[in-house]
Amino acid sequence: MKTLMKSITLLLVLISFNSFAQNAGPKFIQATKSGLELIANAKGAEDYLKAENHFERIAAVETKEWLPSYYAAYCNLYAGYMTADKELKDQYWDKALLEIDKADALSSNNSEIYALKGALQFMKMSVDPRTRMYLIGESAGSLEKAATLNPENPRIYFIRGQDVFYTPEAFGGGKVKAKSLLESAIAKFAIFKPANTIDPNWGAESAKALLAQCK
Amino acid sequence: MQALKLTLLFLFSFTLAKTQTKISGVLKTTKGIKVANANISLKNSYDGASTDSTGRFAFTTTASGAVTLIYSALNFERDSVQINLDHGNLILNLVIKEAMNQLQTVSISAGSFIAGDGKKGAILSSLDIATIAGSRADIFAALQTLPGAQTSFSESGLFVRGGAASETKTYFDGMLVKSPFNATVPDQASRGRLSAFLFKGTSFSAGGYSAQYGQALSSALILESTDLPEKTTTGISLLSVGGGVDQNIRFKNSSITIGGYYYNLSPVYSIIKQHFDYVKAPESTGGNIQYKLKTSPTGMFKIYASYGRTKLALYRANIDTPATPNYFSNHNFNIYLNSTYKEYFGNSWKLESGIAYNKDKDSGLMTVNDYSRQDHLLEGKATVTKSFGQLSNFKFGTETFNTGRLESLNGLARAYNDQISSGFAETDLFLTQKIVVRLGLRGEYSSYLKKYNLAPRSSLGFKTSAHAQLSFAYGRFYQNPEDEYLVIKPTDFEHADHYILKYEINTPDRNFRIEGYYKDYNRLTKINNGNPDNSGSGYAKGFELFWRDKKSIRNADYWLSYSFLDTKRDFRDFPMMATPSFAAKHTVSVVYKHFIESLHTQFGGTYSFASGRPYVNPNNPVYLADKTQNFNSLSLNVSYLTHVLKQFSVLYLNINNVPGFKQVYGYQYSANGLNRQALVPAAKRDFLIGIMITIGDDTFVR
Repeated sequence: MKTLMKSITLLLVLISFNSFAQNAGPKFIQATKSGLELIANAKGAEDYLKAENHFERIAAVETKEWLPSYYAAYCNLYAGYMTADKELKDQYWDKALLEIDKADALSSNNSEIYALKGALQFMKMSVDPRTRMYLIGESAGSLEKAATLNPENPRIYFIRGQDVFYTPEAFGGGKVKAKSLLESAIAKFAIFKPANTIDPNWGAESAKALLAQCK
Repeated sequence: MQALKLTLLFLFSFTLAKTQTKISGVLKTTKGIKVANANISLKNSYDGASTDSTGRFAFTTTASGAVTLIYSALNFERDSVQINLDHGNLILNLVIKEAMNQLQTVSISAGSFIAGDGKKGAILSSLDIATIAGSRADIFAALQTLPGAQTSFSESGLFVRGGAASETKTYFDGMLVKSPFNATVPDQASRGRLSAFLFKGTSFSAGGYSAQYGQALSSALILESTDLPEKTTTGISLLSVGGGVDQNIRFKNSSITIGGYYYNLSPVYSIIKQHFDYVKAPESTGGNIQYKLKTSPTGMFKIYASYGRTKLALYRANIDTPATPNYFSNHNFNIYLNSTYKEYFGNSWKLESGIAYNKDKDSGLMTVNDYSRQDHLLEGKATVTKSFGQLSNFKFGTETFNTGRLESLNGLARAYNDQISSGFAETDLFLTQKIVVRLGLRGEYSSYLKKYNLAPRSSLGFKTSAHAQLSFAYGRFYQNPEDEYLVIKPTDFEHADHYILKYEINTPDRNFRIEGYYKDYNRLTKINNGNPDNSGSGYAKGFELFWRDKKSIRNADYWLSYSFLDTKRDFRDFPMMATPSFAAKHTVSVVYKHFIESLHTQFGGTYSFASGRPYVNPNNPVYLADKTQNFNSLSLNVSYLTHVLKQFSVLYLNINNVPGFKQVYGYQYSANGLNRQALVPAAKRDFLIGIMITIGDDTFVR
């Protein structure tokens, strides 16, 4: 009888846990985690678009959470990196900018959101630098705002480092300038602790890989 | 006991494991093409899947009953279907409609050439305009490398598709600029007053333009000024011909820019031999102030004011009596003011309003005669745009100009003043994503001519494939006769009808366009025994090709333009129909730019060719039947990007006509027709060297 009672209690606990999972909390976290897994295993543009669709589905339900839109934008950023077609790049990044604005509307003054926005604006510029020079200023503005909101956000320095790395020396970029930015990014990545398991925590490995190219 | 335990366990697990339904299927377009990477989802659920490269998808869900299945994909319209999950697995055949994709949406394009930053349909950027070799950052010289415009070095302005320079009008934020050129030396073109760096967008229309723009018979040059500068910066430019300083001050929602310049050509003229014998080489001073205020997230107020003064004096060879050359002096004074306000109301209304004032005064001595000329224009304009549907809009507005001239010769003065009032209405109707129709109407009344005109305008765009478009335009364009005739007496409006057919293919890296046109000119001003009337007429027809490629050569960008022009007109003092001296049959331009990263340097070259132009030979009984030799020009420029005192700087060198081609614009004959002299450039070769330093910014952007 005692075992029965134990079993029933356990079952009841399980059931209640199951029904609890119907609410936002753990299910949302679980879905976000599986989305991050899709990102971690992504190898090409298609994989990132798949992950983006996943986050879009979460965003459609979780209308108060900023992370799904943030990650959807992130996926589009990478889908654009991995696409050669300039028109497609433009479309992915245009969509990402809409998603990042959506995230911003849900979580205002968020350093992570402005850092990603800065990265996106810079990439939009790179599609056609001659006609989009003005985006360099806009990108710098977003990154500056991100730094004001949280100077310890390592992604800001990584994104800046990346931008400078790929900007020709003649235009104020180059490996030498990128090096110090990437070094400070790595120093900040070393001490950075995200608030929880699903908050943005990307970039450390890429920063190291890019720094290795600066030497 | 054990059995009960098992039963209970079974019962619980049964309730726990809800029924799973598998939903699978395929997503296609209305034309049956499979759609990859689409998002299939259930409303109010995380459940869903992406379509694979064959448009297939499959996922399971624990949801039940009637639910909404949503499907969406990039460049397609989001759609949904109602499904019921209570009857087992579902296999769906979904069809999705193509959505308006900005890049693939048709646009109004006939006749126009758009250069702008971040603009749809832009072929060139403002930086492209500023860095064309030979143009030396002059907008008008830069546009001469585009199809439809003639290479003109002996007269200021743009000669478009057989039209005289006065038939091209310049608009600054929608407001007409009456005197857009600097002081003129006889038989030489002068630079535009407005710096290329003031504008973020340049739309050069060689015909068929919007009903918003009036008083232009052939062409409209529409300039759109920049918004707030990003940063507070100081720009210093030191050139072989002078220098300038400008200070940008950026506040949170506003900015002030103050600039000044001083140019003196005498040091350069002492090195480069000039065709004229200068008594005083051109010397100019000027300044401008700009204030921009973001009145709301969507509202913008701008004010631009400039002032300029130029002095020069020279002797020109006198073909009739070579011993006594002709004296010419000019003192030019120009003020310009432009203020505009733009705001959106609700989510579909836009108001644009502006006021502009221009005064341009020339005075001096021509041989022994004192002359003076003063032009003015005061304009007010308001336009309201209502957008509807996804892309369509309707706009209407009103505009009024107070314009005139006061001129005098040896104390004898004459003047005219005109109030031109106009109203216009126009709609851009997108029938589908692939078809757009623009219909417009413009009416004007001139108080001086005491006449009305009514000008219909239309333009049609049809997208033939993702990157290709076919366009057609028809429009009627009215213009008052030139000031020099109006000041004699009022006559009537001149008018032209434009018919344009264009085909273009645009991809992000390459552009191809071919455009053919026919223009019918009527009521052009003619001078009969010193008396102007409207008995002139003419035609122009031709076609143009343009090719630009930013991809094939790494770090290089080039474009080719070819224009074929067949035109004749009977106007001014022509005794008959003839091809005017400003019309070359064939015009070719090649612009090449190459950035060499390791040298931090951009090299540029511009080659222009124009077939011989007609000139009047009094010994030939046929009017304008002689032609000059072909025109060739090769200009090179080098921009070296560097840092001076840690501030971003550009070292700049431009050389015009590097090979020293002999260039003849025409001939001037002596009164008896026995002697002639060639009209030639001010100097065989010309160079400009300078450095531009930007303080307060370590990147190239200002």
